Amino acid sequence: MERRSFLKGFGAVSACVALVPTIASAADEAKKVKGPNEMSVESALNAITGGKAVTPSSKVSLSAPEIAENGAVVPVKVSVESPMSANDYVKAIHVLATKNNNSRCANVYLTPANGEATFATRIKLGSTQDVLAVAEMSNGTFLSAKQNVKVTIGGCG
Amino acid sequence: MKTLIKVKPKDYKVGEIVKIDFMAMHPMESGMRKDKDTGQIVPAHFINEVNFFFNDKMLTKMVTWESLSVNPVLSISMKVSATGTLKVLAKDNKGDNVESSVAITPKG
Repeated sequence: MERRSFLKGFGAVSACVALVPTIASAADEAKKVKGPNEMSVESALNAITGGKAVTPSSKVSLSAPEIAENGAVVPVKVSVESPMSANDYVKAIHVLATKNNNSRCANVYLTPANGEATFATRIKLGSTQDVLAVAEMSNGTFLSAKQNVKVTIGGCG
Repeated sequence: MKTLIKVKPKDYKVGEIVKIDFMAMHPMESGMRKDKDTGQIVPAHFINEVNFFFNDKMLTKMVTWESLSVNPVLSISMKVSATGTLKVLAKDNKGDNVESSVAITPKG
């Protein structure tokens, strides 16, 4: 019986390890392995805004867990307050993971036909870091919101 | 790449806002993970473009990167304007191209 439960546990742990390749590689080999699309959050932001200022705003709401046990699957939800009319809408929502090798997660270009400026997905986080959401408004301004997510490495064991 | 589109809620009327979930079965390899058996780095393989069209008009365009989780789910909103077809085109960095669609049929 003991042996059986041990084997079961071992199976679960190895399954988890297989599921979180990014965590293992980011933590152990951060300096050795460079991803093919490596980009820091500063250059990613610069590419998005073209050097314009990004203002933290309560209009942008970013919801992510404060503590993520499994960094391979972190649910992230962004919504931006906007009438989404033809003259006043959210042009784009950008999701950035500030300390990932490639900080870009998704750039979502919306249209007024969306009705609401919302975007939700699940992202991989290599370590404890800030998740940043940047909203590009139709008047050319950039609003942002960020949240720190604590990633428990090996949290599935 | 297998894909699925879900529209929530099931019943909706013209003018209402529905949630569109696009799901894809995809490994989303980051290009940084080493294969345990061979010790070789697994090449990056991820979805890099997802485009949503309603009645052939661009609804939302997404550029995505390897930081999305395995088998990603991408959710957006859509204001139902008419009866029609929602089409989603997804591409990955190895050239795999998938088109999927769902009928939008508002009631009342």
